[in-house]
Amino acid sequence: MRRAAILCLALLSPVGWANPPDPFNSPQWDFVHQRFLKAEPYQFDGKVKVEAPPEAEDSLNVPIAFQVEGLEQVQEVVVVADLNPIQQVLRFRPKAMRPHLAFRMKLQQGSPIHVAAKTPDGIWHVGGVWVNAAGGGCTLPSVGTSSGDWTKTLGKVSGNVWQRPDGSNRLRVRVMHPMDTGLASGIPTFHIENLNVLGADGQVLAELDLFEPISENPMLSFDVANQSQFKLEGRDNNGNRIQAEVSP
Amino acid sequence: MKAYHPIRKALLALTITAALASSVSFAAVTDQDIANDPGTTNDVVSYGLGLQGQRFSPLTKLNTDTVKNLVPAYVLSYGDEKQRGQEAQPLIHNGKIFVTASYSRAFAVDAKTGEELWQYDHRLPDGILPCCDVVNRGGALYENLFIFSTLDAQLVALDQDTGKVVWKEKMEDYKAGYSNTAAPIVVKGLVITGVSGGEFGVVGKVEARDAKTGKLVWSRPTVEGHMGTLNGQDNGITGEVNKSWPGDLWKTGGAATWLGGTYDFETDSLFFGTGNPSPWNSHLRPGDNLYSSSLLAINPADGKIRWHYQWTPHDGWDFDGVNEFISFDLKQADGKVIKAGAHADRNGFFYVLDRTNGKLISASPFVNKITWAEKIDLATGRPVYIDANRPGKNTDTGKGESVFAAPSFLGGKNWMPMAYSPTTDLFYVPANEWGMDIWNEPISYKKGAAYLGAGFTIRPLNEDYIGALRAIDPKTGKIVWEAKNKAPLWGGVLTTAGNLVFTGTPEGYLKAFNAQTGEEVWKFQTGSGVVGCPVTWEQDGEQFVAVPSGWGGAVPLWGGEVAKSIKNLNQGGSLWVFKLPNTATVAAKQ
Repeated sequence: MRRAAILCLALLSPVGWANPPDPFNSPQWDFVHQRFLKAEPYQFDGKVKVEAPPEAEDSLNVPIAFQVEGLEQVQEVVVVADLNPIQQVLRFRPKAMRPHLAFRMKLQQGSPIHVAAKTPDGIWHVGGVWVNAAGGGCTLPSVGTSSGDWTKTLGKVSGNVWQRPDGSNRLRVRVMHPMDTGLASGIPTFHIENLNVLGADGQVLAELDLFEPISENPMLSFDVANQSQFKLEGRDNNGNRIQAEVSP
Repeated sequence: MKAYHPIRKALLALTITAALASSVSFAAVTDQDIANDPGTTNDVVSYGLGLQGQRFSPLTKLNTDTVKNLVPAYVLSYGDEKQRGQEAQPLIHNGKIFVTASYSRAFAVDAKTGEELWQYDHRLPDGILPCCDVVNRGGALYENLFIFSTLDAQLVALDQDTGKVVWKEKMEDYKAGYSNTAAPIVVKGLVITGVSGGEFGVVGKVEARDAKTGKLVWSRPTVEGHMGTLNGQDNGITGEVNKSWPGDLWKTGGAATWLGGTYDFETDSLFFGTGNPSPWNSHLRPGDNLYSSSLLAINPADGKIRWHYQWTPHDGWDFDGVNEFISFDLKQADGKVIKAGAHADRNGFFYVLDRTNGKLISASPFVNKITWAEKIDLATGRPVYIDANRPGKNTDTGKGESVFAAPSFLGGKNWMPMAYSPTTDLFYVPANEWGMDIWNEPISYKKGAAYLGAGFTIRPLNEDYIGALRAIDPKTGKIVWEAKNKAPLWGGVLTTAGNLVFTGTPEGYLKAFNAQTGEEVWKFQTGSGVVGCPVTWEQDGEQFVAVPSGWGGAVPLWGGEVAKSIKNLNQGGSLWVFKLPNTATVAAKQ
């Protein structure tokens, strides 16, 4: 009897959860939900705030910032550009820092940018913004690749730590990498796959999976409470390692 | 009902455990799988179809009677604008074919359908310095890894299922001229590699890394005077400083181990050949120049050299000694079996050595014209040089006297591996007949620049052919049969217990020959030159053959007047897979 009940619930649950419609009316939303949120339950939620310019001045470098306020224990944040040829932009797992992040990305055309934050109850809280773009951001060769200079700087990290007005710290890093999408003719996919931010004691503060749409030489800003010494560890899809220490 | 349920549950659990166990043991390549490779017919898990490198398959479904029914099963295009030479040997394991391609690319293919499962395109810097085309010769399998080396001298381990990088290690600095194109081998959990770059004054070495992590275990330089390492500690200098090299020349002495090596379980030795001493100009470096143009027998546990044999002491013709050394049982007339090994050198001689101690047993010409030496003296083990045919000493400002030398520096046989059949007791050697005008020039070392001090032009020796596939009897050194080919042969050889020998031609054919008579019994036009290494295996009761197709390699880059025979050959880049359908086997029997 109990088994039967569980079975019923399992069968019914997808029907039981009505999928709320996307406020941006994205034709790709259902697919994005299936593929990147694994068809798990979601709700659009004003607590996930996404900032971006309404028009992308430079399709290769569109600044995006998100902040998740008022949700406890965010497990993971996923950023997806619905109308990009490569949709998934990044996955961010804040372990011991706020679920805030600023970065730059490539846009192939005007697209909704969906940011989904998962809470421990298994629900994705989704926010977003629409960015218009003239286009072409994903199919151009990176500057580093075109100039041939990328080997000199590959994996080099620059960074700094600032105190914010509220007394907490902000960490900003830039990692030199072509971040080639594989969509420019004759240039294979070449991008940073993961990047972890660690405290001076080795504790993992956040894990990041980066994908092809992240801009060349990724620039990332984290809100890091009051820590001021950091280590950065990561790797690209060719197995090149990234290792750095950042202090103010 | 109640009694029934637990049994069913238990049965189910049992089935799941069994399925898990079998899939795990099936998927991971073990040291035992690699050791058994020569005898197992349903896979090819090592370069050389077994680490001894015999390139022999015991399969007999495909034979001189049935080979006429061998038909294409599927073909995979490597795509892209990057074509060039496709010299790889595919590996077959767990329902997948793994193959590398030009420009440091790797592919996995579903062995049933030919569909691509994944592709890995290594990012290459613009400044790579490959001397002789952007080829790759294949990978190694271990556990769930596919390990291959790249043109920027890195070693990359990919997950067999996903093609994702599991680990990557830098072997050397590509800016100093290092690169790597050879297939690694895995011996007792260590992945063993060499390096390329002998035209740039690098220092050759053999290295062993933990195959699971890539961590360096030992390193053995191949030029005397350089320090080896074991687990990060000094492990003895190779040879003796300045014993066979003058001044500082050993510091840029070459002897690149660019073709990798073989391994013999019976003597527990790695056999790695070494390339030319740098620079080519031999007058700059009086002495034997150890251990260039040599064979090294190395202990796989610590990287110590057990013995060496130098094919061409004081090489002045770029006769790299890298060609494969194949372990085999030399059966003598009195019934005695000698643990031997054979090697067909660029310098034109086919050598048989005692592989327990490196002692020379025989050395016989396998090409028609050799100008640099009269013979190899069996008593001393050294060549009897013809001094007049060493290119003359250069002056301070100008070139020295030019000589005509045969074989050419591309060799009586180049990199393309020969095969040995224990069924016919014959070696099948892809030979080429060509010579060169060669002269010396002044040169000084500059990091990353070509370091030759010599100039050359290659010339064919015959109007009608350059290539000749030759069957050689290792007991006598005699050529038993030959099959000539207009263009130079540049592809590896495979032989089977079905009395067959397979090899490719630059003209685009994969060909099969009767292993005893040399009669051509089958051919197929692949659309571009075949310079890769064929393999065969059995799958669902049918025998398969796979070979890469794609013209390139050193010949079109360095070939001089040879260009006449190859100028109309087009590039390509694909993996061809053939099979003998079951119906055809039955038909042939009737």
